[in-house]
Amino acid sequence: MGKQYEIPVGAQHIALLEPLHFKFTTENEKIINTDANVYYVHRGIELACCSKFKFRQVSFVVGRVCGLCSISHTTAYSQVAEKLLKIEIPRRAKYLRMLIIELDRIHSHLLCLSHVAENSGFEALFMKTMQYREFSMELLEAVCGNRIQYDFSIVGGVSRDLKPQVADSIISRLKTFMPQLDELMDIYKHNWTLSLKNKGVGAITKQQAMELNLVGPFARAAGLAVDVRNETEDLLPWKEVGFEMVTETAGDVYSRNMIRLRELYVSIRIVNNIINGLPEGDLITETKAFPEGEATVRLEAPRGELFYYAKGNKTQVLERLKIKAPTFSNVAGMVKGFEGNEYGSAPAIIASYDPCLSCTAR
Amino acid sequence: MKLASFRKKSPWILHYNAGGCNGCDIEILACLAPKYDIERFGMINTGNPKQSDILLVTGPVTKRSRERLVEIYDQMPEPKVVISCGACASTGGVFRGMYNCEGGIDQFIPVDVYVCGCGTRPEQIIDGVVQALGILEKKTKELEESVRLSKKPVQEGRQLNRRNIADEIKPLVS
Amino acid sequence: MIKIETSLANLKKDIAAFYKPELHHFMVMNAVDMGETMEIQWFFCDYAHPCETTCFYTIINPAEEIPSIRNIVVSAWVAEAELVDLMNIKVENTDKGFVLEPDFESGPLRKKK
Repeated sequence: MGKQYEIPVGAQHIALLEPLHFKFTTENEKIINTDANVYYVHRGIELACCSKFKFRQVSFVVGRVCGLCSISHTTAYSQVAEKLLKIEIPRRAKYLRMLIIELDRIHSHLLCLSHVAENSGFEALFMKTMQYREFSMELLEAVCGNRIQYDFSIVGGVSRDLKPQVADSIISRLKTFMPQLDELMDIYKHNWTLSLKNKGVGAITKQQAMELNLVGPFARAAGLAVDVRNETEDLLPWKEVGFEMVTETAGDVYSRNMIRLRELYVSIRIVNNIINGLPEGDLITETKAFPEGEATVRLEAPRGELFYYAKGNKTQVLERLKIKAPTFSNVAGMVKGFEGNEYGSAPAIIASYDPCLSCTAR
Repeated sequence: MKLASFRKKSPWILHYNAGGCNGCDIEILACLAPKYDIERFGMINTGNPKQSDILLVTGPVTKRSRERLVEIYDQMPEPKVVISCGACASTGGVFRGMYNCEGGIDQFIPVDVYVCGCGTRPEQIIDGVVQALGILEKKTKELEESVRLSKKPVQEGRQLNRRNIADEIKPLVS
Repeated sequence: MIKIETSLANLKKDIAAFYKPELHHFMVMNAVDMGETMEIQWFFCDYAHPCETTCFYTIINPAEEIPSIRNIVVSAWVAEAELVDLMNIKVENTDKGFVLEPDFESGPLRKKK
């Protein structure tokens, strides 16, 4: 038995995109205990949504909760507000929302994969993945007008239409991306150097995933089939556009990579199906009602289940808005996943969780 | 010494998120990637404040990250340039007035270049960084201007007394 | 959304009877300030197909201490620690300072008198 050492990582660290603090207690290089501090970016958005902004403005504010999955936040908020207003949005708006969510998922998953590669010490693969990711940013810019903060969903529908020539360019760019994705799949699957850092590292079993209530790719990599797209049909018709559940069994960094890569194939299929079968119709349902009562909405963001609770009181300003981000559910699992691993693997494990602290802290 | 010319050609970047939404951070990451590739200007993203010349800050300063921000700025050696990336780092943006936000990094550390936009485009970040290079060069020149000490150290017994020499140094002309 | 009323005394018993790790997952804990009283909510969701959201709620006086459910639901400590800071309420075995700085007084999400 060796002596115990405490090693802090963060709040500013080369391996971290965001301020996040871990305190590892290590013994002979093995991590035996972890302490996490995830609330560096707490800004107080929930209060501002219920006091400063009117309910139609809030959909733009909640987009700023997180830059990576801003479309998931704006869509989830729009849905919960539509439930409070008791309106049904046009079918074309639903399809366009799904289109942007899936394009966003493509860019988010590729960013996470590249980050895992960088933190595993594979700089060239980081560059390659980032290079292949750029097409999704360009497509998002073509559809929404901005590279990261889209503000696409608004209460009642969507703010922009999809132009036919943009739709054509999406199809053609996805066609050129397919061989690149096959190439990435091959590297992440078979590269020997990467497998040393990824296989069997940071593992979580299915039983642990159930007990710790994990969500998203983190849980699906452990074999727990939890995906909101598989469940709810009333808000966004995911199954109509060819959604398919993807699960792995090992629960380590390698299988999280595999989950993300395989979900990219599903996302590409969904985007193709949406564009080929885009229904005609209006973009927005107008209403003069005020939000009343309480409602909840669940939506699958790139990192897992996003949950919104809202309560209205028949005025312009909401009474309460609660945001539960995917990483919030995974904090307990993140702390657990380090146990028994070497300290040198910690950066790769952190990246493979794909933590989004600005979602968690709000 | 070739340090000055090396510094001009290859400034190292330190990136800190002071509570933003991640949007600007992924755009900084996109700048490092092949399409925009700021490495062609010799810039490398480094994690160590003691080796870096340019500090890229995103986000309105939250109460918990404010001391870390000032500490990182203090640890960086002179000359250094601070770039605030995005609307919320420059002014507080949409988060201005929220209870845990301070609203802008220029309340705590001096900022040289403001980059606008929510979120910032990679082209804008590159433009800001290239402007920062000019400022860095100017700051380096000011720092390395030779200053003659007019008062000589005084011999006191066996020791040289170097106290109160700094009083004689004239302020730099900017 | 199914809403089930409970009380602070029966909370642990009700949730232990309801919660099965292989059937449900715990999502989040929420509180709504209603002036004099406060509504505390615990959200659960099913894994299997109808995927109904179940909400346990109880109306309390903000000064009362809420029992912790982390013996039943392991990951509930994150939600409890967050609510203690934001709402300025007391939860069993939970300290302040997880979300806000320890010297930050009074819950920011509480209504101003």
